[in-house]
Formats: sequence, C-alpha cells, structure tokens
Amino acid sequence: MATKNEILVVDDDRDILDSLRVILEGNGYEVRTAKNSREALTALQEKKPDLMLLDIMMATETEGFNLAYELQKKPEYENLPIVILTSFLGKVREEGPEKFQHILGEQWPAKWLFEKPVDTKKLLAKIEGILSKE
Amino acid sequence: MTQTPAETGTQSVPEKSHQRSRTVLGELKEKNFWFVRLRWLVPPGIVAGIGVAKLAGGDFETIPLLWVAVFILIYNVILYPVSCRLRDESYDQTKYINRFTYCQIAFDYIAMFLLIHFTGGAASPLIFFFIFHIIFASIFLPTLSAYGFAALAAAGTILIVIAEYLGWIPHHPLIFQGRTIDIAEQPFYVMVELGFFTASLFIAVFSITAVININKRILDMGKLSETVASLDIKLKVLFKLDALFTMIQAIGSTRSLDQVLNIATNELAPIMDVCCTSVKLLSEDGKFLRYAAAHGLREESFKDKVVEVAKIPLHRRIIDGESFVTGKVTPREWFQFGGYSDATDIESVLFVPLTLEDRVIGILGAYCTRPERFSSDDVDFLRLAAGLVAIAIENARAYEEIKNLTEERSRFMLRVAHSLRAPLTAMLNILEVVLGGYRGELNDVQKDYLNRVNRRGWTMASLIDELMSLAESKSEKLRLKLASIDLKTLAKRVQRTFQDEAAKRDLSFTVTIPENLPEIQGDEEMIEQMIENLVSNAIKYTYINGQVDVTFSESNEKTILIKVKDTGIGISKSDMDRLFTEFFRAENARSIEEVGTGLGLAIVKEIVDKHGGRISVASEEGEGTVFTVHLPRAQGEKNSNE
Repeated sequence: MATKNEILVVDDDRDILDSLRVILEGNGYEVRTAKNSREALTALQEKKPDLMLLDIMMATETEGFNLAYELQKKPEYENLPIVILTSFLGKVREEGPEKFQHILGEQWPAKWLFEKPVDTKKLLAKIEGILSKE
Repeated sequence: MTQTPAETGTQSVPEKSHQRSRTVLGELKEKNFWFVRLRWLVPPGIVAGIGVAKLAGGDFETIPLLWVAVFILIYNVILYPVSCRLRDESYDQTKYINRFTYCQIAFDYIAMFLLIHFTGGAASPLIFFFIFHIIFASIFLPTLSAYGFAALAAAGTILIVIAEYLGWIPHHPLIFQGRTIDIAEQPFYVMVELGFFTASLFIAVFSITAVININKRILDMGKLSETVASLDIKLKVLFKLDALFTMIQAIGSTRSLDQVLNIATNELAPIMDVCCTSVKLLSEDGKFLRYAAAHGLREESFKDKVVEVAKIPLHRRIIDGESFVTGKVTPREWFQFGGYSDATDIESVLFVPLTLEDRVIGILGAYCTRPERFSSDDVDFLRLAAGLVAIAIENARAYEEIKNLTEERSRFMLRVAHSLRAPLTAMLNILEVVLGGYRGELNDVQKDYLNRVNRRGWTMASLIDELMSLAESKSEKLRLKLASIDLKTLAKRVQRTFQDEAAKRDLSFTVTIPENLPEIQGDEEMIEQMIENLVSNAIKYTYINGQVDVTFSESNEKTILIKVKDTGIGISKSDMDRLFTEFFRAENARSIEEVGTGLGLAIVKEIVDKHGGRISVASEEGEGTVFTVHLPRAQGEKNSNE
C-alpha cells in the first residue's frame, strides 16, 4: 500500500475510540479520533479523511445524524463515505425513519449502518470493500 | 331563556292537516248558524209577501199562510239554541252538523209543501224556492243526500198536485186581479211544468255537486302534497341517519381521540346543516370544560380554551343532562357559552350533553346563523348523535390508555437494551484488541479464557438483540410491513440458510412446499424470523442422524399451515405450558445447549399473534416435536391498523 487510507472515528465513548484506533491501525489504517461533532468538524477541516466511522447518540440522541446531514450539504464532503455505528438503530426502526426526516431529510445521510456491538472482522471487511471501490 | 322544543319547533304535518280540517268544520258550523239566523226573516217575509200580493190584487186564503209562518217561527226557535250549542268546541264532529242540516231541510220541506199547497198548488210561484234548499243541500250534504232531497222535493210537489187534482185534499186556487189562475184544468201543462221543475232540481244538484267535487279534489291534492311533504321529511330524516351512520363508520376507522373529535365535528356540521359545531370535554374532576374540537369556529377562539363549569350556570345545567336551545342568542348568552366574540352573526345555538350511560363527559354544540333554526327533531337528533359520539370518545380514550401502557413497557425495554449495549460494545472491542494480538501475543491458556469471555459477551449481545426484537414486536407503534409473501421463495431461503448446519450434524433436512400454494399477506421479515427460530431450535435439539422437516400446506381457503417437525429431544408435559413464556428454557434443552436466551419461542408466538394466526405444538419427550403454525391468508386489513 503506497499511501495509508485515513479513517476518522467519531464516538463519545473513550474506550470504543481507543480500541477501534488500535484495531484499525493494526490493520494498516491511519486513524484520527473525535469525541463529538464539533471536534469532528475541526478534524475534517484540517484534512479530509478517506472514510468516517460515526456514532449517532452522543450528547444528544441525533448528534451523529446532524453531523452527517450537515456534511451532505457541503459539496466538498459529498463523496465522503460515512459508516454509522450505533446502538440506536433499533430505536430508529421502532419509531420509523420518517420520524427523523426533519433531521435526516428525505435521504439517509449514510449508506452503511452497523449495529453495536460491532463484529470488528465484518467491519474491517466492509471498510476494505468501500475503500477499494474508491 | 330555555325554551321547550314546541315553542321553537315548526308544526308537524298531521298537526297542520288536523288544524285545516278544524277550520273547514268551523266554517260549516258558521254557515249552518247563518241559515238559522236567515230563517228569522222568513215569517216576516211571508207576512210581507201576503201584504204585497194582496196590494197587487192577489186573492188567497191568508190564515193558513200565517199559520205556516208561525210554524216556521216555532221550529226555528227550537233549532236556534241547537245551532248555538253546535258552535261550541265540544261538538266538533261533522256527523252532528250533518244531522242538524238534515233536520233543518226536513222542517223547511214541510213548510214549503204547506206554502205551495195554500198558494195554488201547481200554480204556486213558490215552488221555485226549492232551488235554494237544493243548493243548500248540495253544498253541505253528501252528493247522494242532495239527489235524495231533490227527488223528495219533486215527488212531494207532484204528490200534492195529484192529490189536489184527484180531490183527496182541497184545492186552494190562486186568484189574481179577479181571475182564477188554475192550471189544474190543464193537466198536460202541469205535467210539463212539473217535469221541468224536477229537471231543474236535478240539474242544480248535478252542477253544484260537480263543482263541489272538483273543489274536494283540489283539497285532496292539497292533502296529497302534504303527504308528499311528510314523505320528504321522512326521507330527510333517513338521509340524516344515513349520514350519521357514515360518520360513525369513519370514527370507527380511527382510534385516536383527536381524529374521533375532528371527524365528529366536521361531519356533524353538514348533517345538521349548521355552520359550526363544537365539542367540549369535561375534566376528570368535573370542574372544567375544555374545547377539544370545533368546526367552523375561528381556531384562536376555542383552541386550548378552558372554561370553569361552576362560573357558568348554563354549563352546569347541560352537564346535569338538560339540552339548551335558543333561536335568538343574546350577547350575554354568548358570554356564557364561553365568551368568544367572533361569532356575532350566530343566531341559533343548540347544546346537548355527551352522555355515557349515566355519566356526562362533555357538551356537543351546534351553531347556526339563521334565527329559530332548531326544532324538537333537531334536539332529538343531536342527542342521538351525542350518544354515539360519546361512546366513540370513550373507546378512543380506553384505546389510548392501553396503547400508552404498552408503549411505556416497550420503551422501558428499549432503554434497558440500549444501556446494556454501550458498555458491551466497549468491552468486546477492548477484548478484540487483546485477543487479536494488537497489544502483544497471548499464551494458549490466556487465549482460551479470553475466548470464553468473548463468547459469553456475544451471547449477551444476542440476548439484548432478542429482547429488543421482542420489545419491538410488542410495541404497538411498530406497524407490520404488510406485503404479499411468496412462500416458495421464502421456503428456498430457509432451505439454504439451514442446509449446511443440518449437514454438519448429519441431519436429514427437507423443506416441502406444494406447487400452487397461494401467497399470504404479512410482514416477510417477521414471518422469516419466525420460521428461522423454529427451524434453528429443531436443528439444535435433534440428535445426530435425526430428521427435521418443514412442510408448507393449505388447510382450507383461509388458512396456510407451516409445520416444523423434528425427531429431537421433545418437550416434557410439565414444560409445555410455559413454552412460549419469555426467558423460559426447558430443562432438557439446557442440558444440550448451555447458552440460550429463552426468547426464541416467545418471539415466534408474538409474530404469529400479530399476524392473526395461532401456533400449536405436539411433542413426546425423547421422540420429537411438531410445531404447527396456522396463518390466515388475508388478515392484513385488521392488523395494519394496529
């Protein structure tokens, strides 16, 4: 691999951030982390990553969704692949995605969703798949 | 202020026609009375007639004529008080009036015959006075009676003439200016005269009764149009009832209280033909009335408006069960109704209580810009509608209460599941860091122990998943994603999913589905999960070399059967009852597979219930188990609203 792919991990759980960093770095990715969407925006402005792993429920129930939606509106991040990791999926399923439309818009802000806890082997395979298509 | 319905109401048709017939009867009595009064003029008329005739040179016997005048005077003296009594209300029967008329004519006939006899018989100029009696009879008596009287007059006169001619009674000749006018000497002329006289009488009866009958037919047509009008009113009532039924049907299609109230107010306005309607609901303590819905009123004038019942006596009275109706509302009353000032053009108001058995839960109101709009029928109709609306409100309330409880339970389970997931994720990720050798290699013993921790961690994750899925399927918010399910494709997927696992355990595994099995309506994801749970259990608890068979079939037009049969460990009779209970695991199952959630069959049951089906189980411990799921083919409509 000539240049290492860079992944931005956004989660408010320090243990998750920490362990994901180790696992991803161990699989040859460069990793930056952010504890909330404000930090994530700063990190994104510094340098656009190749992929973003994003938690949904942080300070508010939909902080991750809000960030993804904001990024969708900016042309420079239009093509940024976002993988959502959430323990929140059940809630969205229960309430129906239409309940979140005022936040999410008509389109879901991300193509890929993983429900926590995530099987890291499956996650790594998915990341590799996404990045190899890029 | 409160008016009885009769005061504001319009009269019903029977009332109107009764009144009309009373008017006609009254006129009849008046005419009868008029004739009796007219008769007072007859005796003086006779005396005057005698005088005039004598002066003109007539010569005839005066005394008998004066006696006839006295006779007329006497019978009129008798008839007069009777006619006065007949004018009295209590004699409002046509029968009595007719009898009285017959009586008058009979007396008059006797007088007439006497007068004719004493004034020259056939030569008497008085015979033409009969015409007046005939007119009188034709107008006031039935046609047949009129002809009868005409015949009587003709026959009587002819009889007198014949009797005089034959000498049975004395003939009193009429002498005028010294010459005897005695047509009795000219029998042929007398015959012709009497013939014409008789004809005149009958023609008079015929003409008058014909006119009277036309008039009667016109009256009948009036009655017919009244009947049509009453039919029209009945049709309107039918239309209203039909509209009410449609409204109740619409209300039945929803369980939300707001929607029930909106449908009720919006639909009732056109049914009642009014501009505005409102529903005020009583608080639980009965102290306040809240505007819950309105049609036609400006939103800001009622929205979130709460009225204290004690402050407005009108409300108190309605809540005690009275109706309130006014056809001319005053500004002071407007203040009592709740004080909204925008509806100043409203003239008529009708309030009825929303009554439930013996309890009042609110007030239903109708408002109209026309004055005196509401009749007693409208009051009755709105009370009927209020009864139905009250039942719908109570149903919606009960449903919302149950829904809230169920949702509360599901939300709690979801919160629990969510809170469990977060730390578990961190734990498993950290474990992955260590186990994956990212922070240095572990020895085999350490690996073995950490692998066990990892496995139990993932079991816990799947336990949370199943808890979540159970909470979801119990949650009323979750709609079944109804669609036609092609069971053949589903069967193939089940075959593919489990064939490897079955092969690993040396099990014979078959999935059988007939060629022409019809599709069913349901949530495909759920139905698949339900079958997967059953099959995975069957495979898990069947010994090596055993057999697991899945069979799809059609039991009748309405039901599809899915059978999952195994030759596994079976279920003991004591465990049978609790089989579908959450977290229950049978003793023999625990001995085979240590780890299990005990949620699989609870989920199966939940899904089958949601689809309006049922599940049965037959089992012999150590022999095997057959689960049979009965799914209705078209149950969708009912469940999709849940």
